[in-house]
Amino acid sequence: MDTIKILIVDDETEFGSTLAERLELRGFAAKAVSGAEEALTVLTSDWRPQVVLLDLMMPGIDGLTTLDLIKKHDPRIQVIILTGHGSTESGIIGMRRGLFDYLMKPVDIGELVSKIKEASTV
Amino acid sequence: MKDNSFGSLCPLFCGLHNKNLSTRERYRCMRNSMLIAMLAITLIPMAIISGINFVQYRQLLQNESYANARWSAESARATINAYLEKMEAAITVVLDSYTFEDLTDQQQLDQIFRRLKEEHQGLVDIGVIGSDGIQITYAGPYKLVGKNYNDSIWFHKALTRKIYVSEVFTGFRNFPHFVVAASKKGSASSQDSWVLRASIDSETLDHFLASVNTGALEDIFLVNDSNKLQSSSRYHGTVLEDFKLGNKPKQNDILISGEGSNGSFYRAVSRIPHTPWFLVLDHQGYAKRGDWHSFKRGLMLTLISCSLVLGCIIIWLSAFIAGKLREADEMREAMLSETEHTDKLASIGRLAAGVAHEINNPLAIIGEKAGLMQDLLEMDRDFRYREKFIDQLDSLQNAVGRARTITHRLLGFARRMETSLTLVHLNDIIREVISFLEKEAAYHNIHILLQLQKELPVIRADHGQLQQVLLNVINNAIDAISNAMVTTNNAMEAINNEGEIHITSSCDDNKTVMIAISDTGPGMSTETMKNIFEPFFTTKGNEEKKGTGLGLSITYGIVQKLGGKIEVNSEIGIGTTFIITFPVYSERSDGNGHN
Repeated sequence: MDTIKILIVDDETEFGSTLAERLELRGFAAKAVSGAEEALTVLTSDWRPQVVLLDLMMPGIDGLTTLDLIKKHDPRIQVIILTGHGSTESGIIGMRRGLFDYLMKPVDIGELVSKIKEASTV
Repeated sequence: MKDNSFGSLCPLFCGLHNKNLSTRERYRCMRNSMLIAMLAITLIPMAIISGINFVQYRQLLQNESYANARWSAESARATINAYLEKMEAAITVVLDSYTFEDLTDQQQLDQIFRRLKEEHQGLVDIGVIGSDGIQITYAGPYKLVGKNYNDSIWFHKALTRKIYVSEVFTGFRNFPHFVVAASKKGSASSQDSWVLRASIDSETLDHFLASVNTGALEDIFLVNDSNKLQSSSRYHGTVLEDFKLGNKPKQNDILISGEGSNGSFYRAVSRIPHTPWFLVLDHQGYAKRGDWHSFKRGLMLTLISCSLVLGCIIIWLSAFIAGKLREADEMREAMLSETEHTDKLASIGRLAAGVAHEINNPLAIIGEKAGLMQDLLEMDRDFRYREKFIDQLDSLQNAVGRARTITHRLLGFARRMETSLTLVHLNDIIREVISFLEKEAAYHNIHILLQLQKELPVIRADHGQLQQVLLNVINNAIDAISNAMVTTNNAMEAINNEGEIHITSSCDDNKTVMIAISDTGPGMSTETMKNIFEPFFTTKGNEEKKGTGLGLSITYGIVQKLGGKIEVNSEIGIGTTFIITFPVYSERSDGNGHN
């Protein structure tokens, strides 16, 4: 089975890089970027992630717009929102736009891993 | 907020805004002001109308008394006049029919006297007096022949006039009488002028005056220019006594004036033509009339009874209005207080949500960093302090987990959670929740007693949220009772202690369903009750069961969201009761379950 590639999009770079490192320790290939522009750059490169972990509140392009851009680029990519600024309304909007799931920070790594695996099999 | 209820009405209500007065005193002041104002508004016009009525009726009676006095005076004057004219006519006829010689014949004069006496009441005697004042002949009971009248005023006046009526005087007869005298020129052989005089007893005047007396007359009498009574008076004395007559009318006028205190009588004064007399008639005034007294009694009775009835109504009405205003104000204040409380909770909720959001990110970094360290330690089994580091990191992760629970609950409070509304039977949910908690309750020696109304109407709510509400409240009750048992000093007492939680459901008005959860715990103070629904407010100091202070605030949020109400009543040493109400579902209910 191929290694699952995960792209972490979060303006909190400390969080993103640490999470990426932890996911790699669990056998995933993970990259962390700090915003939507960088994420789109990664998506257009050869490294295509199956799952994107996306923060909601980011400076510049926000999470929901980034979700639209990702889905527009490749609808097969599954996006999981991972945010500390969560609200049910934004979760519902995200679901309507093709969001796979919605998790609140701080998240349990076991729960996150199972969600990523679930998303990658879709 | 400024109280505008009465401020604009009237300065009378100034007491209502006087901060130095207590609420009770301010409303009493308002009630009294209202009482005074209403009494003034109703009683003053009534008093004015009664006054006008009084004056008008008195005027009417005065006018009537005036008219009666005038009519009586005219009548009396006419009677006296008629008598005198008759007497004058008789004397004139005798004078014209007989010669001086005839009348100086004693026998003939006696005959004439007898005839006149038969026709004229009060006639005492008649006599012929010569121009020298000596009485020539006389017919009557006295011996007056030869008496000299030359010094009498009446004699000289009679000589100068065709006929003369004198004042009342005593004269030679020594009793009050007056004379009607006529003079005639004699022939050249006899006296130049002579006088035929008739004397009339003054009682005759009394008799005639008495004949005009009616029930309404107080007094009637004659008085002359010299202020001597010419007839007897009921109140002023007998004939020839002094009586001072004030204003005297001119000619034939009748002068009427109010006399006596408070209109007790009216005096009519009239001159009797061709005599020296004034007729004085005192007519009963309105003040002595029976109808005036009955009118006054009736008016007073009406005034007093109306005042009493109005007074009672106004006292009741002002107390009623003041009570209603107070009730309305208290209700408004309670609503304001509730709104302020709700706003405060909403503000705290928003603030809590903001704080939770901001904390989540650094918390996530701490969690991930700690997690990474744990991951690395898991791989490196040779690290000298590996076990110690792993223990420390576990503690760190536990702390992050606790903080995460708090922030997620805070967000839940702020959002009040999404709801999935269905028709639910409250009794079923109560039984479900009890099944979760009965073991724990039994462990703490607490009996849960249910009193659920059968066929309770359904409500529209979220099943899970209702469970959470009931769980929170019943859990709190269990904690309150068990904590109280633990803090009991006596061990045996603690073992024997039993607690109770009563849960009742009811629907009395078919509009709301009520659940009451009462415990036999230690109760709480008013201050605690005031803050009980605020986030982070907790009374659970016990380390093992230390609360987050979010349970009841989330409960409050959910109940509000479902269109219900939650209230708490508590008394220290007795226990606490939470009362939760929800609107009953009906087909006309809207989508939110509100009627």
